[in-house]
Amino acid sequence: MSLQSAFVPLSELTTPGNGRGPIGAVMVVGGGIAGMQASLDLAEQGFKVYLVESKSAIGGHMAQLDKTFPTNDCAMCTISPKLVETGRHLNIEILTNTEVLGVEGEAGDFTARLRRKPRYIDPLKCVGCGDCEKVCPIVLPDEFNEGLSPRRAAYRLYPQAIPAAYAIEKKGIAPCRDACPASQRAQGYIALIREGRYADALRVIKEDNPFPGICGRICNHRCELACNRNLVDEPLNIHALKRFVADWAGTTERGPVQPIPQTRPQRVAVIGAGPCGLTAAKDLVTLGYGVTVFESLPVAGGMLRVGVPEYRLPSAIVDREVQDIVDLGVDLRLNTTVNNLDDVFAQGFDAVLIAVGAHEGKKLPIPGADLPDVLVNTQFLKDVRLGKYDDTAGERRYAIRAKRVLVLGGGNVAIDCARTAVRLGAASVAMACLESREKMPAHLWEIEEAEAEGVTIYPARSFKRILEGEGRQVTGVESVNVTFMEFDAEGKLALETEPDSEHVLPCDVVIFSIGQRAGLAFIPADAGVGVTRQATIAVNPNTFAATRPGVFAAGDATTGTAFVIEAVAAGHKVAGSIHRYLSGEALEPKFAPDLPVVKMTRVEVEEKLRRNEIRAAPRVPMPMIPAAERAGANLSVRPNPFAEIEQGYTEAQARAEASRCLACGLCSECLSCVYVCGVQAINHDEVERVEDIKVGAVILAPGYQAYNAKLSQEFGFGRYPNVVTALQFERLLSASGPTAGHVKRPSDGARPKKIAFLQCIGSRDQTHDYCSAVCCMYAAKEAIMAKEHEPDTDVHIFMMDMRAFSKGYEDYYRRAQEKYGVRYHRCRISALKEDPQTRDLILRYVGRDQLPVIRDRSLAAADHCSLITDHFDLVVLSVGMEMSPAVKQLGRDLGIELDPYGFCATAQFDPLQTSRPGIYAVGPFREPKDIPETVVEASGAAAQAAGLLAPARGLLARERAYPPERDVSGEEPRVGVFVCHCGSNIGGFLDVPAVAEYAQRLPGVVHAEHMLYTCSQDSIAKITDRAKALGLNRVVVASCTPRTHEPLFQDSIRAAGLNPYLFEMANIRNQCSWVHSRDRDAATAKAKDLVRMSAARVAALEPLRTMPVSIERAALVIGGGAAGMTAALALADQGFPVHLVEREAELGGNLRNVFYLPQNSDQSSVISHQSSDPQVFLSHLIARVRANPLVTVHLNTELADTTGFLGNFTSRLSDGSEIRHGVTIVATGGKEYRGEAYGYGTDPRIVTQQQFESLLAHPASNLQLPTSIVMIQCVGPAEKYCGRICCATAFKNALRLKALNPKAEVTVLYRDIRAYGFKERLYTEARRAGVRFIRYDFDRKPTVEIPNSKLQASNLHAERPISNHPLPITVRVWEPVLGIEVELRPDLLVLSTPLVPADGARELGSKLKVPVDADGWFLEAHVKLRPVDFASEGLFLAGAAHYPKLLDESLVQAKAAASRAATILARPTLTAGGAVAIVEQSKCTGCLTCVRICPYAVPKIKADLAGVGHIAGAAYIEPAICQGCGLCAAECPAKAIQLMHYRDAQVAAKVQALFEEILA
Amino acid sequence: MTRQEIPNPKDQIPSSAIPEAAVAPSWDLEVGSGDFHIVAFCCHYCAYAAADLAGSLRLQYPPSVRVVKLPCTGKLDVLMILDAFEHGADGVMVAGCMEGDCHYQIGNLNARRRVHHVQTLLKEIGLEPDRVRMFNMSSAMGQKWAEAVAEMDAHVQALGPSPLRKPSPQRRNARRGDRDAAPAVARI
Repeated sequence: MSLQSAFVPLSELTTPGNGRGPIGAVMVVGGGIAGMQASLDLAEQGFKVYLVESKSAIGGHMAQLDKTFPTNDCAMCTISPKLVETGRHLNIEILTNTEVLGVEGEAGDFTARLRRKPRYIDPLKCVGCGDCEKVCPIVLPDEFNEGLSPRRAAYRLYPQAIPAAYAIEKKGIAPCRDACPASQRAQGYIALIREGRYADALRVIKEDNPFPGICGRICNHRCELACNRNLVDEPLNIHALKRFVADWAGTTERGPVQPIPQTRPQRVAVIGAGPCGLTAAKDLVTLGYGVTVFESLPVAGGMLRVGVPEYRLPSAIVDREVQDIVDLGVDLRLNTTVNNLDDVFAQGFDAVLIAVGAHEGKKLPIPGADLPDVLVNTQFLKDVRLGKYDDTAGERRYAIRAKRVLVLGGGNVAIDCARTAVRLGAASVAMACLESREKMPAHLWEIEEAEAEGVTIYPARSFKRILEGEGRQVTGVESVNVTFMEFDAEGKLALETEPDSEHVLPCDVVIFSIGQRAGLAFIPADAGVGVTRQATIAVNPNTFAATRPGVFAAGDATTGTAFVIEAVAAGHKVAGSIHRYLSGEALEPKFAPDLPVVKMTRVEVEEKLRRNEIRAAPRVPMPMIPAAERAGANLSVRPNPFAEIEQGYTEAQARAEASRCLACGLCSECLSCVYVCGVQAINHDEVERVEDIKVGAVILAPGYQAYNAKLSQEFGFGRYPNVVTALQFERLLSASGPTAGHVKRPSDGARPKKIAFLQCIGSRDQTHDYCSAVCCMYAAKEAIMAKEHEPDTDVHIFMMDMRAFSKGYEDYYRRAQEKYGVRYHRCRISALKEDPQTRDLILRYVGRDQLPVIRDRSLAAADHCSLITDHFDLVVLSVGMEMSPAVKQLGRDLGIELDPYGFCATAQFDPLQTSRPGIYAVGPFREPKDIPETVVEASGAAAQAAGLLAPARGLLARERAYPPERDVSGEEPRVGVFVCHCGSNIGGFLDVPAVAEYAQRLPGVVHAEHMLYTCSQDSIAKITDRAKALGLNRVVVASCTPRTHEPLFQDSIRAAGLNPYLFEMANIRNQCSWVHSRDRDAATAKAKDLVRMSAARVAALEPLRTMPVSIERAALVIGGGAAGMTAALALADQGFPVHLVEREAELGGNLRNVFYLPQNSDQSSVISHQSSDPQVFLSHLIARVRANPLVTVHLNTELADTTGFLGNFTSRLSDGSEIRHGVTIVATGGKEYRGEAYGYGTDPRIVTQQQFESLLAHPASNLQLPTSIVMIQCVGPAEKYCGRICCATAFKNALRLKALNPKAEVTVLYRDIRAYGFKERLYTEARRAGVRFIRYDFDRKPTVEIPNSKLQASNLHAERPISNHPLPITVRVWEPVLGIEVELRPDLLVLSTPLVPADGARELGSKLKVPVDADGWFLEAHVKLRPVDFASEGLFLAGAAHYPKLLDESLVQAKAAASRAATILARPTLTAGGAVAIVEQSKCTGCLTCVRICPYAVPKIKADLAGVGHIAGAAYIEPAICQGCGLCAAECPAKAIQLMHYRDAQVAAKVQALFEEILA
Repeated sequence: MTRQEIPNPKDQIPSSAIPEAAVAPSWDLEVGSGDFHIVAFCCHYCAYAAADLAGSLRLQYPPSVRVVKLPCTGKLDVLMILDAFEHGADGVMVAGCMEGDCHYQIGNLNARRRVHHVQTLLKEIGLEPDRVRMFNMSSAMGQKWAEAVAEMDAHVQALGPSPLRKPSPQRRNARRGDRDAAPAVARI
């Protein structure tokens, strides 16, 4: 392989963008800390960023953490500013609830396809008031709190979430709604019933169905057939619940209804006041049309009123629900028969709806059918309902009482007829029908009810004639038995009868009930309205338009008999169609995508039952009047035989039944949120969209998922409540967590006094061959925090090795033990049990470490080990990191190489590069890692993307354009005050209008008003308009917190030409209404105080200017090793000149001593097609540096001194040259410790790992290789800090020796094996290869005995073998497992000495004025979030200068430093000024107080400035780098320093205004 | 069936959910009353954010406190605290980040030093020194903020009004909502 092809970064292999130039946009996948950091870096460098997040808010796992190690910083405090910054950045577009489906194209020119799932709440409109959450009836486990607390389906992921908007969690529509023709939101009202919110339930029912009381009684409730609860036990009694709500409404007083005014000129005539016509009438009236309903009968309600018997549907219910519609302004004309459509149009109606139903009954054409006592179902039922059979009415055309009644037909209407006849006092009632009993079309429960009431059923009969007696009396029906009957597809009947089976069914009255049809006599043939063969009106099924323009028809008149809910559905649809017709739109309804339906499977349900998420519970039975009490025979007992049989649920029954709902869709679509949302941000019909975006590069930061501890059943997670995961424990510790930071155990809420942490759950086991790298440290942190909460807590950690491998970690581990008394046990717990009484957890383990160390060799190991059984109140499982199935899918969709665990494979010497050029991977997606390394990688990937897309920098970046700023100096304050209701969040708890009115009278205030939401788009615009129109020069907004909203309002006044600093917020929500919600007066008074204070302060504020400061767009990189060269190239690739300073004569640094890399045989995590020889890589790297015209290499050179500040440094080099640069990167590396330890330096057979590596890389011959070696880990300074790379180096060299000489014996004496991440695989491989590992403790270190050796150093490289030396080195070490001292006689003793800081690091630090820590490592600005920045602006660090690092880690860090540096160099100018400290030199005594107190070393005493009394030498604070904390201003004894925007007078104005009473 | 027997919807939360008592902790602190004022100087990054969070969590605390936001408690000088007392504050809270976690590294330590100094000054002039107190909290400690205010409120109530307070009969009347009845006098 040639040099050139070996190490060209993959990204350079393609020409970006097919010669058109790359696209200046980057897609960052994953909104955790890595995604945020990468986005911010890129956006700051002038690229457009799409930040794709699958959840509803960014923040990732870090936002869930309580504290972060090793500083115990509050995680939220550190992440929150980044969240806000990411959310506000003009060039970062956050795409929440979004998944990546695929990426097409090539580096520089990708098209990414995204699936954007609905969040149902528009984040642009949502103001985050939380009103939707308050009314949401759906309770779900809170995923952010790891299921430890409930949340609502309308939710915000966490209080500080960005975007601050709410979202709704919905799987899809529930099957009940899907099954309903009218799309009734059944789950919605059921949820509301469960909550006891019946009025809300009624409202949501009426959204889709104006007849809750009716449908609650007689609907055929297909919803119940579809109900997922069918899979559990019985479906919910949905219609009964609906009826309950309607009945509840009937018991409450009916308030006056405001008719809806007619706002549209057109009028619509509806013919027929049945359910279809009335539904349409209601919809049309609501839309603002004039609506007249013509009904030929004296009552409205159609079949509901005259077709359904009273005992099933009392007329009072129908009348009430009809009246509800009439009250809206429908003109109902009863007893008005329409005879002619032309007449209707002539009356000025613009459209006509025919909804006349199917009221004409049919008779069989058999002899005797025309006898007077042969009745027809519809007429019979209608007559009964209209009182014609009422004994007292006097008009009894057909007497039923004491007659034998035979109903012909087997449908529901036939049953209605039969049961009605029973109630009219018939002597007997029978039914006869064609169908067999099983095939009768009537509902089974109806048949059973009829039979219970004494109705006889003669199934399977065909009727020949009706027998006529005297005076045309009916005497019976001659019938034959039916053996087979079937209707074919065309509705034709095939019938077979039993021969000679003729018989007579005796009776006095016959009622035909064999179907109905529409009565269409009023439509003359020439009316232009077509009729079908089935005697229904012909309509277009989509639009319900009849053949005559302007005429529509719907309901039974078009379909034949159907159920009431179908009539309702048709009513809605036809109303929509008429509306489109009248507004001149296309008649066909717009395409509405199908919403997904949540159908559960039996497997799912069984799983839920098993997990106890569902409990079997039978349907609450409907109370009914017993059959014995209702039949006609007992007429004397019951005053009203038509009394309703079903009694309806009581409140308790209804709520019990409602709580059986499985809430299939999660969100129930109860619309409560829609009603309450003041900004109309909610749309429940939102659907998933697929979108494409064009980007030049992709950064994958999808993060990890915690191992699902339920899979390790032996630890009982999910079964034993007091076994929690570490993330759950983190939430329990968090002050904003479910227990407000009081650690309570889940089973009983008691404080756990004894806690065990079990390490390596889902790491380093049979199914995970890697170490998750963070668990040891987070367990230590959580243990410390538990102790900090309750110092007497007994905390035990059970582990194999302590992996405290990074900067400051070892010290942290020691503190956990020494300061906090956390007890560590070196053993792996294999299982635990629960005490069922106390719910304590029982652990059994071998306790050795807790015993005093026994040095007596004679004691056998078994003597000082004992099996301990111990009880713990709480067990915390330290779960490891895994890749989620979604992440694995992402990898597959993007076509990048993943290892079998789903981790992303990346290039050996280009560690963030995936197998696809232009796509980079960062964070745990590459390998398990902690936050700082993740942040470093994020910045590193940003540098790579920026390098790839450098030509397109700034092309897609936006800047806000503002009008010129108005000069307000000299003007009297003209303050505008805007007070926010925040929906009800403020307005509900304090008197907002009174506050506004009060503000109006404050001095300087010229305008005050109150707004529903000050932060909604229209309000923002209004504030701008008011400021302009009223000539305001100061603005106060009294609403929520300035921490999130100040920039928004500042922007709005800036848009009005005002300086953004002329603004002040009064936080009357978080500080008044929310926290004094029970004391309206106090909250109002306090709000007035806060507004008064803000108005006083705003009057004292002054406009602040920021000024552009030019930037020296070049970098100084100190150190020419791998890190320095990589950083230099990363910057040069982006077009920035770099000075690379190296004090040695050649480039390369420590990499010159690295001859091969730690590599295990499984290389699935490394892209394999590149050479792995580090020396090849190094020579290529040097060649690239040498070849790059932008990199100036200064060899044999050191930094002499440096002056200046961010963007404008001037440095002198030791060769006398002077360079100007905007940023500085320190990459001075480290060197291997070569001090005296274990006899180093006294015998050439004692070598360091670096020396050993050199020997292995260049053995003169195999003879010269040792056959037995001992390695001692943690040598010298590594007893104090962890050398981090030594374990991996030891494995590497041991494996190399084993490869060269398989018989070689290798013994590693170690303290902890710190094989973090995938280095664990090396460790496993070393053990497999036969390397022996013996653990030792620092209080019992190995001893080395060296004979008086004559062996010279040079002999090591001589031809003679070094083995079998007559005077061997003896190493003795206590073997803790065997409990004996082991004596080893190696040919070679290899010491794993750590890296120590490079010589002169401390001096360099003082030249640059940057700190080093106690061990001499350069100190970063913030361990977690600014890991490559120095606290002083413009200075960055990379590589081993920060801490010992492996090569790939150094390379990534170098790129990260370059990225951070580029965020400065990429800007055209720096902005200086604003809220910074300013020195009034004429007061300055030059006392150095400010110089000493500033944490950022910003103040300088400048000799050329005249101080107090014109004495030369006064302080100067460079505004470009001042952090604005004001520490100097507070400390300055001469009060010569003022912090702008917080001048003494400005702060004092607020305090004084509090006590200055304004009495009005 | 009584209301208690109705299955609780929370029953459908996975069994790992923790008991009701822990889910709905009793946040409410005894809400104090009384006509006095505590000025709270809060740092932007932690204490002010904690007060915001207390609001988000709807923690109830006494309404006597008025917050003045500063970038850092290290900005607060001795004169500002004394100024508050001079104008009539009955108590002053200085609330910053946890020690060691200051956004500006050492600002809260400076503040602590100054609070101690003011306490000695108050003692010298015969005022109770702990009318001014330093509190430390992280931005995630909404509860801590509410507790701190309640604690300070109770403490100041026990001490009684500051003798430095200017007599202002109107103030007493005005406090509870009947301001509109008073004559219009505007001065600042």
